[in-house]
Amino acid sequence: MSEPIISVKDLTIRFRTDEGLVTAVDGISFDIAPGEVLGLVGESGSGKSVTAKSLMLLNPRNARYDEQSNILLKANGKDVNVLGLKRDKDMRIVRGGAISMIFQEPMASFAPAITIGDQMVEQLLIHTSMTKAAARELSIEMLTRVGIPDAARRFNQYAFEFSGGMRQRAMIAMALSTNPKLLIADEPTTALDVTIQAQVLDLMKDLVSEFGMAILFITHDLGVIAQTADRVAVMYLGRLVETGTVRQVIRDPRHPYTQGLLNALPKIDNLDAPLTPVPGDIPSPLERPTGCVFHTRCPVALEGKCSNEIPAMEPTEQAGHSVACFVARKEAA
Amino acid sequence: MNAAPIISARGLSVHFPLRGSWFAPKQVVRAVENVTVDIPKRSFFGLVGESGSGKTTLGRALLKAVPISAGTVRYDDGEKAYELEAIGSAELKDYRKRSQLIFQDPYAALSPRMTVRDIIAEPLEVMGLTRTREETDQRVRAIAAKCRLNLEHLRRFPHAFSGGQRQRISIARALVSDPRFVVADESVAALDVSIQADVLNLLKALQEELGLTYLFISHDLSVVSHICDHVAVMYLGRLVESAPTRSLFAAPKHPYTKALLSAIPSLDPDNRGTAQKLEGEIPSPTNPPPGCKFHTRCPYVQDVCRREEPALENIGGGQEIACHRWKELLDATAT
Repeated sequence: MSEPIISVKDLTIRFRTDEGLVTAVDGISFDIAPGEVLGLVGESGSGKSVTAKSLMLLNPRNARYDEQSNILLKANGKDVNVLGLKRDKDMRIVRGGAISMIFQEPMASFAPAITIGDQMVEQLLIHTSMTKAAARELSIEMLTRVGIPDAARRFNQYAFEFSGGMRQRAMIAMALSTNPKLLIADEPTTALDVTIQAQVLDLMKDLVSEFGMAILFITHDLGVIAQTADRVAVMYLGRLVETGTVRQVIRDPRHPYTQGLLNALPKIDNLDAPLTPVPGDIPSPLERPTGCVFHTRCPVALEGKCSNEIPAMEPTEQAGHSVACFVARKEAA
Repeated sequence: MNAAPIISARGLSVHFPLRGSWFAPKQVVRAVENVTVDIPKRSFFGLVGESGSGKTTLGRALLKAVPISAGTVRYDDGEKAYELEAIGSAELKDYRKRSQLIFQDPYAALSPRMTVRDIIAEPLEVMGLTRTREETDQRVRAIAAKCRLNLEHLRRFPHAFSGGQRQRISIARALVSDPRFVVADESVAALDVSIQADVLNLLKALQEELGLTYLFISHDLSVVSHICDHVAVMYLGRLVESAPTRSLFAAPKHPYTKALLSAIPSLDPDNRGTAQKLEGEIPSPTNPPPGCKFHTRCPYVQDVCRREEPALENIGGGQEIACHRWKELLDATAT
């Protein structure tokens, strides 16, 4: 594998709240190589968005990064220690420079009273040394590139004049116009209808091969992951429980949580398969289980072991496939 | 579909007038247009479509929660029967006990200032179904147990519950008045996958236990395929196809249904990009295209589709379809 573009080590993020210190992300590590699509899967509250935002230092002020946490970004041949950036000016290397982000709800991410075009030009003027005319030209070109018809006219319209699918396309055009090394896509198709989702996913696949940037693709939908990602990382309650190539994780899941997720999913090609829910409810972040975070819902938890010890992420016999589970490891041995 | 229908709608339309300016002609949103549908008793009837297809409005019209602009809707559960398009206010109160709605977002649907017991008991009190507090408590406990909530939960407030538990509370509240017909509008869309299966299984178990009929509205076809007996597909206010679940998923006939099914992302990483992609987006219901409403996006469009609107025709086996060319296309794929 080539040199990773970003490498996250032992990232732990806690939030100071009125109810006490809440751990959102607990010691996770992963790398993303150039041109790679890493799918980050997890349910609500698993910490996937907090992880993504930490790469751009977008978490709110009450976020605390633990001391051993480290995020190393390769930008313009230099290593940037992201968590060490203190001034807003320095953060521009990351925000909108090396990394762009697209969000779930594009209506909430565009300013309602500024035209789409002005917003696209503004960010180009901030992050590049382009003239206004060049920025305008590039923006219209990008809008055309993502499949918005009549882009020159659309350029002068407001977000409310765009449909949901168009807004998400405009968002992608805007994120890519600064030519980022890494694109963070946080549930980019969740708010869209399936037919539009299929269009947007196709577009993203085309753009990856054209621009060659890496993508951190966050979603709760394993179907979307199967269609887009090269590698998958599964998160539960702030910890990574399994990582591997998309085929390893979806065809041969080792962690009981990944297996449970796949069993709970309605499959369209087998209508007779019963839907098996993962038993129990997701614990509140204030009451994090001791030991393995999943042991309260795990059907194969070992008594006295899983509730006391935290399983480390260890490789399976398959290259590139790792799992954090005592039981999965024992079966393999 | 041998069972007598609990709901039969004939030519049902729901129009919403838009406030126009002085000079511009008044516009009308035709949210539901000329829908004819029978929902058999004790069925799990699925209604799918993209946003803006009118599926929620149709669900509400069957509950008489929006005004019915044209057509008739008859409700008949064997004990009581109502003609919804002409129902009086006293009768409507009775109908409310027999028909209920489960909402999408269990975070927005529950009052944060009421205990779970009060939330579930409120319909009983409002509808005057119980006389004493003991009787109310008894019914609340009975339905809570059926929805797998324990007694200790009843004293708490909604904030103490996770999404799945909240949805179980919403279900208990909807079912406490002992309705016969329940509209579940995107009831699992806001839930996580691991919880979603649990709520779906609960809905199915309650149907068998209480003899309910569901209208299950969803945009998620894989969920619908697993839980419904019969599925109707809507596009721009019209029904385009309606069939028993298995025939619909095994052999969709309308080009829109086909496209919708193939757009579902496959779980197989080696099966990428085989989907039959639809171009464009759903047109605005204020200004629908003439002829077949789907012709602007249909890959098989011909002149007749642009001119004439196809009627929903019964093709046997409980299947109905509204497409000029379905037979032709079926023959073409067979050869």
